[in-house]
Amino acid sequence: MSMICWSCEKNAGEGLLCVGCGAIQPPFAGVDHFAVLGVERRFDLDLAVVEARYKDQARILHPDRYARADARARRASLQRAVQLNEAWRTVKDPVKRGEYLLSLWGGTAQVAVAPGLLMEVMELREALAEAQAAADHGRVAALAMDVRGLEARALGAVAAGFSRGLAAADDIARALAAVRYYQRFAEEVAVHEEAHAGAAVVHGG
Amino acid sequence: MAVEALFDISEPGQARAKEACKGRAVGIDLGTTNSLVAAVQAGQPVCLRGPEAGASVVPSVVHYAADGHVVVGQTARDDLAPRFAQDTIASVKRFMGRGPQDAEATRRLTPYQFAPAAGEPSLVRFVVAGGSRLVTPVEVSAEILRVLKARAEADLGGELDGVVITVPAYFDDGQRQATRDAGRLAGLDVLRLLNEPTAAALAYGLDKQAEGTFAVFDLGGGTFDVSILKLARGVFEVKATGGDSALGGDDFDRLIAGHLLQAMGLPDDGGGDRFLVRRVLDAARAAKEALTEAPDIAVVVERPGGGTWRGQLDRAQMEALVRPVLDRCVRPVRRALADAGVAAADLTGVILVGGATRMPLVREFVSTLFGREPLHDIDPDEVVALGAAIQADILAGGSGRDDVVLLDVVPLSLGLEMMGGVAEKLIHRNTTVPCGATQTFTTYADRQTGFDLHVVQGERELVADCRSLARFKLTGIPPMAAGMARLEVTFLVDADGLLRVSAREQTTGKETAIEVKPSYGLTDDEVERMLLDSFAHAEDDVKLRSLTEQRVEAERILAALRAAMVDAPELLADADRQAVAAAVRVLETARAGTDHLAIRAAIEGLDAASKDFATKRLDRALDVGLRGQGVRAVEARVDESATAKGTTAGVKRSHAGHEHG
Repeated sequence: MSMICWSCEKNAGEGLLCVGCGAIQPPFAGVDHFAVLGVERRFDLDLAVVEARYKDQARILHPDRYARADARARRASLQRAVQLNEAWRTVKDPVKRGEYLLSLWGGTAQVAVAPGLLMEVMELREALAEAQAAADHGRVAALAMDVRGLEARALGAVAAGFSRGLAAADDIARALAAVRYYQRFAEEVAVHEEAHAGAAVVHGG
Repeated sequence: MAVEALFDISEPGQARAKEACKGRAVGIDLGTTNSLVAAVQAGQPVCLRGPEAGASVVPSVVHYAADGHVVVGQTARDDLAPRFAQDTIASVKRFMGRGPQDAEATRRLTPYQFAPAAGEPSLVRFVVAGGSRLVTPVEVSAEILRVLKARAEADLGGELDGVVITVPAYFDDGQRQATRDAGRLAGLDVLRLLNEPTAAALAYGLDKQAEGTFAVFDLGGGTFDVSILKLARGVFEVKATGGDSALGGDDFDRLIAGHLLQAMGLPDDGGGDRFLVRRVLDAARAAKEALTEAPDIAVVVERPGGGTWRGQLDRAQMEALVRPVLDRCVRPVRRALADAGVAAADLTGVILVGGATRMPLVREFVSTLFGREPLHDIDPDEVVALGAAIQADILAGGSGRDDVVLLDVVPLSLGLEMMGGVAEKLIHRNTTVPCGATQTFTTYADRQTGFDLHVVQGERELVADCRSLARFKLTGIPPMAAGMARLEVTFLVDADGLLRVSAREQTTGKETAIEVKPSYGLTDDEVERMLLDSFAHAEDDVKLRSLTEQRVEAERILAALRAAMVDAPELLADADRQAVAAAVRVLETARAGTDHLAIRAAIEGLDAASKDFATKRLDRALDVGLRGQGVRAVEARVDESATAKGTTAGVKRSHAGHEHG
């Protein structure tokens, strides 16, 4: 997938910088986020390693490096940086990473949600509304804790599904949907807390 | 492909491809209250103080005199603002990128006169120069930038080859565009807009070799920012940012001023008396600053219509007044911590930035809020400019700091208006820049041949609650059934945090791309016009300055001559008397006119006519001196007049530095 360098007009190689003259090269189209980051295409990743890869690349291709450069180099740097940031944003978040991996497999994250999950979430919401109406902050906090536990379990199911491969695609999609529901619940709790907490609570948690 | 168009980089700079000249890239902190310029010298960032080695800060106050002079800085703030309240603009940053309606809160207690809104979208325009001129906030800011530019060029010995201007992290796209426009208007090559808390973190991080997760609490004159940053191995990564771009020390001043007015038995909006408002605001600011040290102080304000009001203010009273405003900082801090996914207890440190953080109340508030003592090792007034200088040095390529990189974020979500007035977010707040997003939309009605795109920024669900950034149209789509057209919209946010948008109808390939110009911003044409205006003004200003100078010189000579004729009439030969009288008449006539060259010629004429008289006077003075007082006294007298002249010249020079071109 070698390209001709825009600067020295010789073979640029496949990397970020031209093998001949070192000029930054525009990104290739159709490269997946894992490849952009230079990590394996899998769900189960050591994010600390991925983050280090991300930052090493950001250091080299960030537009700040090219503020004074030729317009073509600045353009390539901007495109590369947008691509890299999007890759990291997707891969670092387990739900986005899972959905993206599924889509690379040709699957979809859009599946019918299990009726059991809907019932569970509705009950949790009712309990939350009651606790909030009663200004029972202890109960709200306990519910938030419960949901964090459920979220962690669902994420475990996502990871387990990916380890089984394509056959588990529907299970993965359902587990991802569950994670999204739990996360939305947690967001609502956070909004409630934000609206009702004073200064003193900030450093408490 | 439309997306490609977004990446088009048009120049002011094949010129940029030129060899970077080291050391003439500077960082500018364009503050609400004070502005600074700094540069990296011998590897260290330092604030530039100008040839007079004065204060590092230039008060962000711009005076427009009726005769066309523009005066920026301390003179404008201390001498001119009290006398010409309406013609002297302070805190202009609060109006940047804002429409007349937005600025309403700030306008409640204000000495300015605003031009009636004209056209759509309408801009804030101040009526200045004795009612003869309208200026926009961008133009006022450009005046401040020109002074900083002149200062930097004087100190660094040559033209600048690029600047980094800082903006509050929480500035929206419109406010950022306005700041960039002001830079262009001042003739600066703006390499980057840098968020103020990020700049501060850069200064701290590199100076203190800090690593870890930090919160930057930045309370300036008019804006509040909080950023959570992770510093590791030269990477300055903003995790989250929050704030309020209309909250700052100015609001404290207004609350204190309202209290003082009440205590004076006057309406708390000053009852429309601009001079009173200016005096009370100044008294409030002085009181606030004095109460940083003293537990209580006396306040003296000149009453309208004569007499003075004397009162007392103690720290507890002041703190009770400003507390409600300070409490508005709590929510952005909580949200930023939550967005960053860190608890206050996990932070490595809290960095204080901004003049308002000198107040004991604010420090105490921050300690309570974060549960730890904040850091303030670097002067909170200077730290942002120092960080900007480091960034400018890096961008100009003179630093050799290949290890440092800043990863900043979008402060507020960016989206499009959907049917029903709902905002659909394409880029969420706290996304690392540069970044992009593409989304596909479809038509709502049968045979719809165009799309109206409305770009908005903000966290709220309804467009009405978000800030409107731009509207544009994509037309010429062949009529199709509803839902058939495929409109692909792409947002791109560059490293300055500025948005570009493109749209493409996929079935026809029809496309359009725009650089988002905020609804309250300036079009390119307007910026061009202002640039031309300022060049035109520059010439006018030079003429005006010469005229003023020649008039002053004429006054001085006429007065000296009159005094000499009273002092020693016998030394003026009868033969010369008529010639001198004629030359005086010529000079008086010329002085009343507007031609500075004519005045100059008349001065020279009078000089020639009175030469003999002057020589005789000098001889006698030397005689008297040698006999009676000794040479020293004569020299002293000569010195005195030389000094007086020198001062006049000095004033002119500093004025010259503050004017166009």
